[in-house]
Amino acid sequence: MHAPTETVLLRLDDISLSFKGIKAITSISFEVKAGDICGLIGPNGAGKSSLLNVINGVYQPQSGSIRYAGQTRRRMRAHQAAEGGIARTFQNIALFKGMSVLDNVLTGRNLKRRSSWLEQILRLGRAPREEDAHRLHAEQVIAFLQIHPWRHVLVGTLPYGLQKRVELARALASEPTLLLLDEPMAGMNAEEKAQMSQFIRDINREYGTTVVLIEHDIGVVMGLCDHVVVLDYGRKIGDGTPQQVRANPEVIAAYLGS
Amino acid sequence: MPHTLPQALLHQAHTRGAATALRYKRLGIWHERRWSELADDIGQLAGALQQRGVGRDDDLLILSQARPEALLLALAAQWLGASVTLLDPDRDNRALLTQLRPRWVLAQDLEAVQQVGECEAVVYLDGRGLNQPQHARLIAYADLCVGASTPACAAHSNDLAIVFHTDTRVQLTHAQLLAGARTLIAREHLGSDEEALAARVFAASGQARYLLTPWLLAGFCLNFPEALSTRDTDRRELGPTLVLGTRESYGRLEEWVRERLPLPGTFSHRVYTWAMQPTPSPVRRWLGHWLVRRPLRDVLGMSRLRAPLLVGPALSPHSAAFFAALGIRPGNWQEPSTRHEPVAPLLSQTV
Repeated sequence: MHAPTETVLLRLDDISLSFKGIKAITSISFEVKAGDICGLIGPNGAGKSSLLNVINGVYQPQSGSIRYAGQTRRRMRAHQAAEGGIARTFQNIALFKGMSVLDNVLTGRNLKRRSSWLEQILRLGRAPREEDAHRLHAEQVIAFLQIHPWRHVLVGTLPYGLQKRVELARALASEPTLLLLDEPMAGMNAEEKAQMSQFIRDINREYGTTVVLIEHDIGVVMGLCDHVVVLDYGRKIGDGTPQQVRANPEVIAAYLGS
Repeated sequence: MPHTLPQALLHQAHTRGAATALRYKRLGIWHERRWSELADDIGQLAGALQQRGVGRDDDLLILSQARPEALLLALAAQWLGASVTLLDPDRDNRALLTQLRPRWVLAQDLEAVQQVGECEAVVYLDGRGLNQPQHARLIAYADLCVGASTPACAAHSNDLAIVFHTDTRVQLTHAQLLAGARTLIAREHLGSDEEALAARVFAASGQARYLLTPWLLAGFCLNFPEALSTRDTDRRELGPTLVLGTRESYGRLEEWVRERLPLPGTFSHRVYTWAMQPTPSPVRRWLGHWLVRRPLRDVLGMSRLRAPLLVGPALSPHSAAFFAALGIRPGNWQEPSTRHEPVAPLLSQTV
């Protein structure tokens, strides 16, 4: 686990992103404190997923800078994000459907492997000990997220809500400092949402992981997050505690309704 | 001849110390404890409980699923002459706990801790979500044994050993438990080579009477699943020779199989029906065994089953016929049981 060295773990400064002249994000700046759960909300097309993709290096912004864990970068590369302790889940589940739950979670440990591919193939040197350690860590995450009854089941055969949990487990297996969750509760019923909210809260509390999540269910966001950022048409229109955001007239007019 | 449960434990530790007493699954891996190790652990736990003031007239209340820690602590309390109260962890026990006002509690997790009101000490197994420093009465199980030495076993045969609260209060002394266990061992011909699976060992009095006490007396191996939700997978991995269930638990398995049968009218369904029907023809019996019944017993984790036990009401005619077709005829041990089966996820199972 990467220990946060400063109070602010992530700072986006004047980030702008456009695709072939169409502006997706316009001059967005905000901070996420270490240990916080930060919610990104906004209507469809507001730029939430694009912003998440900027944070973990999938998209490169045209302007602005990202300060993460004490380092300021003009742009974040995907491998730098992963190596720096940023893990994510996706809006559309991106798991290996033909692999078991355990194997999917173990892929989250890939960056932690120190043995060479030759050692791994021949199970020599560091590989066997490392394999055991990774298996133990994966099993701890599986137990934490209570997916042990499906440990050896192919992911593709699981219901949607469980697949979302497996994806979260894979992200958590990498021992992230910052966890980016893109609509972790999309398509879930009320009971599943409550369970997923509890898991996210537990991850934040037990592992000390900072979380940035996109969610459309305002009730869930307001109940779960310490800090909420509201986007509309690629612009930031609100930033503060759930209470502050709820009272923000611009947010009320644009998103929450009067 | 042992007169108390701790004496039975010590007897096994002296005579069969190196044999496996307990097997449990943790983080996907099976772990084993020998009788000698178990006796040492329980002696130390008894010392730890004594240091904290537990004595002969006390009672330890257990609110936990089948976990080895809960079993060890229960035996440690009995070692000191105290009794153990077992509550079904799947029920809402808040009203009952308000009445009982227990002094000493073992709670599995946050949910169980929240059910318990004021008491002297709560030993917890899973600290997730618990704000331990704010509650001096909360003790982590892992912190319990520090610096404790084993006291002399203080249990007497007429001491109360176990108390259950279902619809009625059931109290059993060491002598009563041991007498019941001896009868069962003799009638079912149980030996030390049995492998028993105990999924809900603290949920009903029948489990303590007909599984825990015979375990201590006969010296077989008791297996705990990883969780209640994994008991079917774990049973299949283990292949126990001894299981104890209620009408509901046998019924749940039958229902589970029926839900996964091939659609009526298909060739596979006709083969299943043909194989499950009683027949005088040895050839048909042999074919039915290898084509359907044997694979089905494998999937249920009952291929090595030798002693299926049933406590409480008899099986429904449907369930009885189903299990009889598989060659499984549970021996019925009369025990009032009001335990209802929780709905457990069974997605990992395929027939």
